[in-house]
Amino acid sequence: MAKKEKTLEAAMEELNQLIARLETDEISLEDSFSLYQEGMKLLKYCNDSIDKVEKKLIVLEEDGGVDGV
Amino acid sequence: MADIYSVSQVNAYIKNLFLRDDRLNYISIRGEVSGCKYHTSGHIYFTLKDADGQLACVMFASMRKGLTFRLMDGVSVVVRGRISVYEQGGRYQLYANEILKDGKGDLFAEFERLKARLEQEGLFDAAHKKPIPAYPKAIGIVTALTGAAIQDMVNIAGRRNPYVQLILCPAGVQGEGAAETIVRGIRRLDAMGLDTIIVGRGGGSVEDLWVFNDERVARAIYECRTPIISAVGHETDFTIADFAADLRAPTPSAAAELAVNEVSLLEGALVDAHAVLFRAMSRRLRDCRNRMNGLSIQLKYLSPAYQLDQKKQRLSDVETRLSGLMKQRLLLKRKELLVLAERMKAKSPLDKLTSGYSYLADEKGRMINSVEKTAPGQKIYASVTDGEITAEVISVRTVNRQNR
Repeated sequence: MAKKEKTLEAAMEELNQLIARLETDEISLEDSFSLYQEGMKLLKYCNDSIDKVEKKLIVLEEDGGVDGV
Repeated sequence: MADIYSVSQVNAYIKNLFLRDDRLNYISIRGEVSGCKYHTSGHIYFTLKDADGQLACVMFASMRKGLTFRLMDGVSVVVRGRISVYEQGGRYQLYANEILKDGKGDLFAEFERLKARLEQEGLFDAAHKKPIPAYPKAIGIVTALTGAAIQDMVNIAGRRNPYVQLILCPAGVQGEGAAETIVRGIRRLDAMGLDTIIVGRGGGSVEDLWVFNDERVARAIYECRTPIISAVGHETDFTIADFAADLRAPTPSAAAELAVNEVSLLEGALVDAHAVLFRAMSRRLRDCRNRMNGLSIQLKYLSPAYQLDQKKQRLSDVETRLSGLMKQRLLLKRKELLVLAERMKAKSPLDKLTSGYSYLADEKGRMINSVEKTAPGQKIYASVTDGEITAEVISVRTVNRQNR
């Protein structure tokens, strides 16, 4: 199993919070630039993390093997 | 006198009392069947009785899977269902969900005892329940290898999000040894570090579903570190597994819907998020630019060069005004002078001489303007335009000129 990085949920949540912050007027332009960049990175991460390969059902065998990949 | 009610008002009121009573809405009753009638509509009407009383019962056609044998008069049964009021008849009756032959009816008691014990132990605690991941990558399923349940789940999951990996760990879902295979399946999938596990089976009789009331299954579900969704039978079937699971799905199909996110929605959300992000940033830049323009105008007005220009301008204005005033004043004075000159000219002695008047003086040059200032025999000097005439006074005469 692949090691767990940031989950898509966490990334989406982060993205939402980031957008909310960007929409307030209380941050400096520099901060908003870095937020924007961060947001674009998160978007890319979210898009990338949707592994767009159709999966076939895997059936585990009684002896511990794997069938039908 | 108190209010008077209609019959239907009273019946509705009493029905409401029944509905609010939890015990009546979920009850198991033991008794002997009598007056059993299978209606053509599929409903079954019968009476449940014991030595001292009887109770009207109905099992609707929609609940018929809760009955796995032919109901006949004289059979001792345990009926599970709810007691409610049939308003049109003004009668209360038992609406049966499940009917078991007595003896098997003990299953219900067993179910309730196990449920109470595990609940006491905290297996059903809401605090223990894990949230189901919203965006799973891999989902494990413990159910029968063949059957509608796995087919439904594969179809629905594939339709919603074909990128989610489904992993089936086949298990027996009824009868002897089924509980062990289910427990093994849960543990095996749990060890794989998946996002979610679904455990369940399609509909069947109460006995068919009974393995999901097994204590070992409940404990395996409770101990599972992966969020787990139970999906046993139909909407109306509740099992111990359902209480122990992190989430109960009414059916296997529903479990697939709860476990697998719709990928098109996620993609849409990402596109939206991108647009929102871009808009927010653009707005921010625009605001900054506007503010900067404002400030630059302010700065321009405050700059020393501008201030100096302003002062120069004011100085030149003052100068213009000053010189204007001065010119005006000179003009005025010149006019006054002209007037004075005219007046002076009018007084000029030369003019008078020209018109025939002359200036008289004595020998010492003193002006003679009265007879008093000279006398006969004295010399006088008359100044005319081109010279002086010396004359001698012959006589003087006073003339009064006041009244001319």
